[in-house]
Amino acid sequence: MTETQGGRERILAAAVDRIASDGIDGVRIARIAMDAGVSTALVHYHFATREALLGEALEYSFEHAGDLRIGDEGEPAADAATHAERLTRMVEHCLPSSASLERDWVLWVELWLRAVRHPELRPTSERLYARMREWFAAAISAGVEAGEFADCDAEAVADRALALVDGFGIRALLGDSEVSLDRARREVGGVLAKELGIGEQLPFPQVRA
Amino acid sequence: MSPRPKTDHLRKPQIVAAAAEVLYERGLFDTRVGDIAERAGTSAGTIMYYFESKDRLLEEAVDHTDQQFYERVSEGLEEHDSAGAKLVHLVEETSLGPGGLTDWTLWMEIWVRVRRSPELRASYPRLDRRQRGLIERIVREGQESGEFEGEVDPGDVALGLSALMDGLGVQLTLGQPDVTRERMVDRCLAMASRELGCELRRNGRVPAQRGGTG
Repeated sequence: MTETQGGRERILAAAVDRIASDGIDGVRIARIAMDAGVSTALVHYHFATREALLGEALEYSFEHAGDLRIGDEGEPAADAATHAERLTRMVEHCLPSSASLERDWVLWVELWLRAVRHPELRPTSERLYARMREWFAAAISAGVEAGEFADCDAEAVADRALALVDGFGIRALLGDSEVSLDRARREVGGVLAKELGIGEQLPFPQVRA
Repeated sequence: MSPRPKTDHLRKPQIVAAAAEVLYERGLFDTRVGDIAERAGTSAGTIMYYFESKDRLLEEAVDHTDQQFYERVSEGLEEHDSAGAKLVHLVEETSLGPGGLTDWTLWMEIWVRVRRSPELRASYPRLDRRQRGLIERIVREGQESGEFEGEVDPGDVALGLSALMDGLGVQLTLGQPDVTRERMVDRCLAMASRELGCELRRNGRVPAQRGGTG
């Protein structure tokens, strides 16, 4: 990586952090420059406008969030003993279940809105959702092939898994008094366990039977 | 002290309707109160007299569009006798997809703002309960008539279905090619069928595209 590319990456990473803490509307370029340890002139050299910087930062974070969710290094389920355990860890990883996942979730929601308003971001969101769908479908198919899960339409179950973690995740993130993180786990886990014929609940260590 | 304008009852809904349109088109950040005033044919001052902040306008806009949407859905429900057909109707109408004020765009605006606005944090649960309340009512009706499994909690079913529709609705609004309207309906009906111990099928009617009917 050249020094210039490094500066660019640092600026993007700083912008992502600022968006997560202040919201995209509250972000100031001078603050990003300060966080990245560069001059505002360098920020302007890499990004012509504030809009361009924020757009790229969100795209960068979307890729990053996708990598975190399903990338090789971030793969949360690689050493799981059973297919049910693997799926459980995947669900856990897609809910705002830790401070860092909560931060990713905030960015995730900013990105939904951004992609709606700016169609040039759509290919990024498409790619990420397609990847996550495949990720879930592959884990479900593997469990079916191993005889651990009941025979099912893996694609349909993957659709539901993905939609339920988003639908419950947003409520848990926003502090809905009726949807604690634990309830989000139980509800998503209950639906998937029953669909896959592995009892009433996924084996979350946090959730008591 | 000046009296409140006599046209209150006329002007307020007009402003909320204009706010919903403008916020849907441009988003909260890029909307100025003056833009809404122009659309509503009034002044920014008048708008700020009724609504103290843009967050408040967003809240009222979502409340307004949702209320209209669910009133229309409720009317449609009357055309169906069985609770099953009613639930299918609700799912079909909700899955219409982008292109109108009632896709998930305004909800995304709310979600983004809730963490930063105490005002919206307080009102968000109330707004979110409307759809769940309607689903819960239909489930209860079906349980009483024996159509649906009686053991499940109607509130849990409503929350689950609502979450599923939101998750799929986000992808539909993003134009995710995998998630078509039909696929969303099928995924939701399959889950509801399993939970309620019945076989829910599409009503077979293709609802009118949103936006055209206003």
